[in-house]
Amino acid sequence: MTHISIPTPLRQFTNGLDSVAVEGATVGELLDALTAQFPGLKGHLFNDEGKLRSFVNVYLNDEDIRYLQKTASPVKDGDSITIIPSIAGGTSGFGAGRTGIARVKASVVGVSPSR
Amino acid sequence: MIRITDEPWRVMVEHAQRTYPTECCGAMLGRTLRASEAGSTVVGEGETDIREVVRAIPLENTYDGGQEDRYEIRPTDLLRVEREARAEGLTLLGIYHSHPDCGAYFSKTDLENSCPWYLFLVISIQKGVYAEANCFQPNADMTEAPPVPLELPASLTLTAKETV
Repeated sequence: MTHISIPTPLRQFTNGLDSVAVEGATVGELLDALTAQFPGLKGHLFNDEGKLRSFVNVYLNDEDIRYLQKTASPVKDGDSITIIPSIAGGTSGFGAGRTGIARVKASVVGVSPSR
Repeated sequence: MIRITDEPWRVMVEHAQRTYPTECCGAMLGRTLRASEAGSTVVGEGETDIREVVRAIPLENTYDGGQEDRYEIRPTDLLRVEREARAEGLTLLGIYHSHPDCGAYFSKTDLENSCPWYLFLVISIQKGVYAEANCFQPNADMTEAPPVPLELPASLTLTAKETV
């Protein structure tokens, strides 16, 4: 069995479990088993083509599977899998001609002193 | 709605001002409260839960390039923060970052490099001083990031307004 750690926002799809034990020979098989057990997770982890969404990082123990054999990376009993998103951003691109900017909101929204 | 308590707000604003003119980034830890137990008067339409930030953890901006308009968080740092939150009985609620000499909007770069799982607080720093902050949460498809009503500590909000 291999334990997959579930990021906090996704635990609502695993009945609150922060770790799920599944069986499989590769990372891909484990993720398939996970989403078979908890179908609500699938759209959060995979795109319509069945590939991991661009912001989803999967670690096998402490190694990013992109630097191993991706979802074909073999696993053994006692290994652990962790799902962590990529986070980045910035103001870069402001005023860029081709893509412009998704200027969502520039003013303070609903700010109010707490009591 | 997101409520930020005094200490994490102070940590985030000081972090953003200290790293000016480059962007800073960090994690917001806290808990989700039902509106009825949170004693709030500011609840957006359809909002029933209040996400209360009680701790902010500054993280290293690991973007390999000009950090005056970009930030990046090392995934293993996020992993560490997730574990820290769990150990303290808290939740990783969101990510904050600063916009030096730019408004507190969610840019196209922000949207393209975020994820729908977390709240994103953007802190505008103008000429080295806090100006404004807004919070957003990307939708599931990451095609847009609607603003999330934000409640800041009263005293620090006044300080910020005085310095604009």
